[in-house]
Amino acid sequence: MLAFIRGRLLSGLLTVFGVVVLVFFLARLTGSPIDLFFPEGATPAQLDSFSRAYGLDRPLIEQFWVFLSNAVRGDFGMSVWQQRPALQAALSEMPATLLLTLIAMTVSVVIAVILGTVAAAFRFRLVDRVITIVTLITGSIPAFWFALVSILIFAIVYRLVPTSGAGNWQSWILPVATVSLGPIGVLTQVTRGAMIEVLSSGFVRNARARGFGSTRILYRHALRNAALPIIAVAGDIAASMVNGAVIVSVVFAFPGIGKAIIGAVLARDFPVLQACIVVVGVAVILLNLIIDLIYVVVDPRVRLS
Amino acid sequence: MNISAGLKALGLAALLSTAMVHVAMAEPTDRGITVALAVELDSLDACDTQPAQNANIARGNIYESLTHVSPVDGKLEPLLALSWEQVDELTWEFKLRPDVKFHDGSPFTAEVAAANINRSQPGAEIDGQEIACLNLTQFPEAVKAEAVDELTLRVTTPKVDPILPLRLSYADIGNLATQQTAQKSLSPVGTGPYQFVERIQGEHVKLTRFDGYWGEIPAVKDVTYVYRAEASVRAGMIETGEAQLATAISAQDATDDGRTVTYKDNRIVIARPNSFKEPFKDPRVRQAVSHAIDRDTIVTALMGIGGNPWYQMLGPQVNGYIPGFDETDALRFDPEKAKELLAAAKADGAPVDQEFVLVTRPDLFPGSDEVVQAIAQNLQSVGLNPRILSLENTAWRTYLRQPFPEEQEGSIVMLSHDNTSGDATFSFSGNYATCEGRNSATCNPEIDRLVFAADAAQGEERASLYQQAARIMYTQESTMIGIAEQVRLMMLGEGIQYEPNPLSGIEIRIADITFSD
Repeated sequence: MLAFIRGRLLSGLLTVFGVVVLVFFLARLTGSPIDLFFPEGATPAQLDSFSRAYGLDRPLIEQFWVFLSNAVRGDFGMSVWQQRPALQAALSEMPATLLLTLIAMTVSVVIAVILGTVAAAFRFRLVDRVITIVTLITGSIPAFWFALVSILIFAIVYRLVPTSGAGNWQSWILPVATVSLGPIGVLTQVTRGAMIEVLSSGFVRNARARGFGSTRILYRHALRNAALPIIAVAGDIAASMVNGAVIVSVVFAFPGIGKAIIGAVLARDFPVLQACIVVVGVAVILLNLIIDLIYVVVDPRVRLS
Repeated sequence: MNISAGLKALGLAALLSTAMVHVAMAEPTDRGITVALAVELDSLDACDTQPAQNANIARGNIYESLTHVSPVDGKLEPLLALSWEQVDELTWEFKLRPDVKFHDGSPFTAEVAAANINRSQPGAEIDGQEIACLNLTQFPEAVKAEAVDELTLRVTTPKVDPILPLRLSYADIGNLATQQTAQKSLSPVGTGPYQFVERIQGEHVKLTRFDGYWGEIPAVKDVTYVYRAEASVRAGMIETGEAQLATAISAQDATDDGRTVTYKDNRIVIARPNSFKEPFKDPRVRQAVSHAIDRDTIVTALMGIGGNPWYQMLGPQVNGYIPGFDETDALRFDPEKAKELLAAAKADGAPVDQEFVLVTRPDLFPGSDEVVQAIAQNLQSVGLNPRILSLENTAWRTYLRQPFPEEQEGSIVMLSHDNTSGDATFSFSGNYATCEGRNSATCNPEIDRLVFAADAAQGEERASLYQQAARIMYTQESTMIGIAEQVRLMMLGEGIQYEPNPLSGIEIRIADITFSD
């Protein structure tokens, strides 16, 4: 087990290293932060002055070496604009991201498993068709559109929740709904498909023949066997949420790593961008490891080797 | 009454009501407000207050400068300096306001003012560490400030600079401790009517009223600034009462119940053909561009209350603005004239059919994509061959700034230019008008002569020289083609009184806000 975990962590860290190298060079191809913040009339001497102050005048390879040698010590440099360590800027956004991911995934999985199971149990009947159509729609609605419309209806017209921000628990409702909407649609379809396959298998027919009730068959026998594909897809979705719920950041001004990454990209704040990529990379590695371990718990047939 | 006249009337009414509000104002209250801004600030340091996102919060609230541009008439007013005089060609002396305290209780003196000015100069260093201030673009060459006595400040310039007092309106003053380090200040301390409470990055900045302020104590006690990227969300926050003032409202979110207020900040949408590249080397082709653009239709239909047709690159509060130009001399919409000019240029060998790029940015101004498409259609209809190129800011600037790469194609760059200083030097000299100007796409020795002469002149003579240079730039060179004067929108919550002014795009003085209920 420990060897498995060690191997996964090592390969994950190599991946993160590769991504960071790519991000380091690709980000710099997009231009310099100097161009963004000085007025159009700034003279070359003034731009050079700023460039020297932030080490942006050094050769790229030298900047990369300085970055690498500092990064292994956990020093990603100072944010160009936030005047605080870049790693601190990235880490400060993670609690909100992780909590949003946890809540949204819980909501999505619970709703999707219930709907998918009901749809599979009543397959090709009216309830199945309704659930299928509704979840196809929720899975297809653009999150950006849903976010704006939900603000209009629930915040501005009915005043049930705040328009934006993260000041109280009510302000989490629309962001969680926006983030959960797509995953509910996708996971419901996955659950339905997996359950239909399992319900038509021999051990389920055997259980019925032995006189077990439908509910027991569904939730104790079928669902457990249908769990693997659901966990696999849910894991991917959770990883993408950790990567940054961008729409939620932009529309609701919701804190999180997505907001930090967008801000860093737009501001060419390279130290923060690099720190965010590493933090997200490590989070995704850990998440994937947890999902692998859940596989083992749910299905002992899965061999760690 | 057309829109322009209506807005002028609105402006007059605004002035009158502002005066009445100030008279009736304003016992200090215990009430707080939330301001919804579009963009988060970058820095709260006194030497970084030029970018609008920083200035919106810091200028006039936390910090004050020695001088101040009047939002009413654009004239320079005393603020932390009571008076100033030019001692000789290169030396100015400023008499400073006595009994002014910083938020930390320390006194405002000439020594502090000098430290602030010197720290914000190009190439400034403290303890061997260079400081990169965003305000340093206001000083083309470093000036030197020193204290003569406690309340007398002397500033020497490397060459004659008649507008040094104006430049110093951009030098905000922080307390001495923040000026003795190269590090940017995270806890700003100024002399303004509001003192810093806290900043949570990505979330908010909070200020509270400074009861030791030297001037009139304002009505609003606490201010919280939040950032919302979506204009509709900012407008929604006013609807729900979550915010009491929201900036950068788009025309479609505007209300007609008095809560949406408009202002102009001398920001002009401009098309700039590059006269160093074909097909724009022949001035007749550039003049044809101006004649081809139907500003009245485009601006009215696509910008709505967000713009007015415009023919110059400066707004009326800037001394380089030419009164009456639009009615008499402007190269107005005349497609037949444009075709004639192009035919004449073509007959002399100009490649008028050559494709060029119409370079824009998605964030240039609200609705800019549609406006640029309409301009492209106008240009095509007279026989020009534009291709729209919408670029991100940094890539867009490669078409804006000199030097223009050899392989770069001919271009018209769409830009949005503002000048809130009131002086055309910030737009012309070393910028858009002169041969060596960073963003200039033309080189006319007569324009250079007039601009440099204006830079050394004062008053009416200065304005006249800038206007002469501008006239050549618009009518002969036709490299800065005015398209629209932008009108900006702001939303106010119930019971909030605030009259925006031409400086409101960069400076929202919370002290100017009162409560009507």
